Amino acid sequence: MAILTGWASFLVTVGTIAAIYGLLTVGLNVHYGYTGLLNFGHVAFFAAGAYASAIATMPPPEQVTNASYVLGLNLPMPAGFPLSLALATIAGGVLAALIGLTSVRLGTHYLAIATFALAGVFGDVLVNEAWLTNGAFGMNSVPKPLRATLGADGWQLAYLGFALVSLFVVYLLVERLMDAPFGRLLKGVRESEAAASMLGKDTNVTKLKSFVIGGAIAGFAGGVYAHYLGSVVTAQFVPALTFTVWAAMLLGGAASSLGAIAGAFMLVGFQESTRFITTAYGWIQSVLPEALSGVLPALFAPLPDHPSFIPSVRFVVIGLLFVLVIRYRPSGLFGDPSEIEAMGEED
Amino acid sequence: MVLDSGQFLQTVVFGLVEGSVIAVGSVGLTLSYGVTRFINFAYGEFLTYGAYLAVFIAGGLLGMSLPLPVAAVIAIVLVGGLGVAVSRVFFEPISDRGALPLLITSIGLSFILRNALSAWVGVDAQQLPVPLLRPLEIAGIRFTLIELGVFLAALATMAAIHLLLQRTMLGKRMRATSGNRSLAETAGIDTTRVVRQTWFISAAAGGLAGILYAALFSPFRPHVGFGYLIVVFAATLLGGIGRPYGAMLGAFLIGLAMNFGSTYLSANYTRAYAFLILVAVLLARPEGIRGGEF
Repeated sequence: MAILTGWASFLVTVGTIAAIYGLLTVGLNVHYGYTGLLNFGHVAFFAAGAYASAIATMPPPEQVTNASYVLGLNLPMPAGFPLSLALATIAGGVLAALIGLTSVRLGTHYLAIATFALAGVFGDVLVNEAWLTNGAFGMNSVPKPLRATLGADGWQLAYLGFALVSLFVVYLLVERLMDAPFGRLLKGVRESEAAASMLGKDTNVTKLKSFVIGGAIAGFAGGVYAHYLGSVVTAQFVPALTFTVWAAMLLGGAASSLGAIAGAFMLVGFQESTRFITTAYGWIQSVLPEALSGVLPALFAPLPDHPSFIPSVRFVVIGLLFVLVIRYRPSGLFGDPSEIEAMGEED
Repeated sequence: MVLDSGQFLQTVVFGLVEGSVIAVGSVGLTLSYGVTRFINFAYGEFLTYGAYLAVFIAGGLLGMSLPLPVAAVIAIVLVGGLGVAVSRVFFEPISDRGALPLLITSIGLSFILRNALSAWVGVDAQQLPVPLLRPLEIAGIRFTLIELGVFLAALATMAAIHLLLQRTMLGKRMRATSGNRSLAETAGIDTTRVVRQTWFISAAAGGLAGILYAALFSPFRPHVGFGYLIVVFAATLLGGIGRPYGAMLGAFLIGLAMNFGSTYLSANYTRAYAFLILVAVLLARPEGIRGGEF
């Protein structure tokens, strides 16, 4: 029997996705909020983690229809689940190390463009190397651990719990790290690279470490995401995802992990709830008295009527969020203004 | 593998044609960087709007269908105006806050512009009303009149920008503002006005690049400019940000690299070739191939 219906089911879904986005924003916050690195290619680390998990746990290609991949390690569930997530974390970290080695020493603008473009190239690789990723068709048999034992609803709830606990643990780890001398070094590099290197710190190595840590967190998020959806498709990993995570981080407050998490929950809540706009419209229309039934259609008639209208407006709102937060509240809703002050004063 | 000289020359020609389109775009981007000191991530939308406006104006947006060249000119002017408008609404109010807020705002703006367009007209593919032409063949090299026209239009634009920078008062003011804004201000230059004029030229060049791109590679969708941004960025950085002549040179190198890569390696990775060249150059010369002033 389905326990989770209507709103409860919706909230569980939003909660799980928000927790995964929370992981992504915490990772990005290590880059930008704490170290001042402009990473515009976050989606690549997320994708690397998701694909690592998929390749580790997908059944071999002979057992899957439409398979063009050659490697499916078929790790047993649930015992292989931690291993799969570990591989996802490593994949995110290794990709971050590779990208960071070429570009982390570049200045603000060069780094922003280099990460943006390298993530685009990585996306091209995912689409084209079908022997590894099954191409645009995607890897659609990623196992959901304990799904059979727990049943549909029980599993949804359990996975929500798992995602929230993971987020909490990662949050504690990052907080611990930022209180440690290494955290102060990161902030030192953010505030003044010259001062940090005067004190004998190798700023490029510090930045590379920060890059790898954030990338590994994003890779872990990718693993959690792959086992949640049960499928990994290239179309999920578009540049817009990077910037959605950015919007969440800026909204919640850069340089504050808690703010970043809050931003992720608000943004995902907003995105998911716009799915109900047409339902709400129908409901309002049905309860309006007869005499007013022409009002709503007349009001909305000038709006274009095609399926990409609402998704597009959703992204217009995200764009506006960037502009408004940066202009009127640079520290975000929960950030600490004194942390942000020193950023953006390079060149 | 025997190197086929006909194919080699053909690849050079395609590379130069595509390079000329990239050049128009990257010169526009680099000019605005010169006076505003931030990389505009919304620049790709100028390309998109140029292509879309040209299609719509040619198709009767202004009440009558116009011939494509007329529509293209109107579209370019409108995109230039759009550039001035977005700079006044989005960038001028925070221009004293450093490069980072401007950069992040430009990302937000690119989301707004791109998705406002797809909210209005949908994501269906559009096509410029250019006729399908049989390619001409000269000395074994095949090209269409459209490719020739695109190449000549791009060369004319670069010549015009060269004359603008070197021979006009506006060009001098732009170079002065780019070199040292406060010094230019002290010398009596109205730098706010120069910045706005530069936005117009930069956005208009973007619009033109979008139209030229659409003429070569139809059909296109609302994310066309954002997707091509990586290529424009690669050319701009290769030339050294803020250096128009460097951008032109960088663009032709990128165009050639992309076409040689597609012909001789794999057609799936055109953007990757552009980018690998860039990374290689940046590792050796972080300031780009053309250091020095304008």
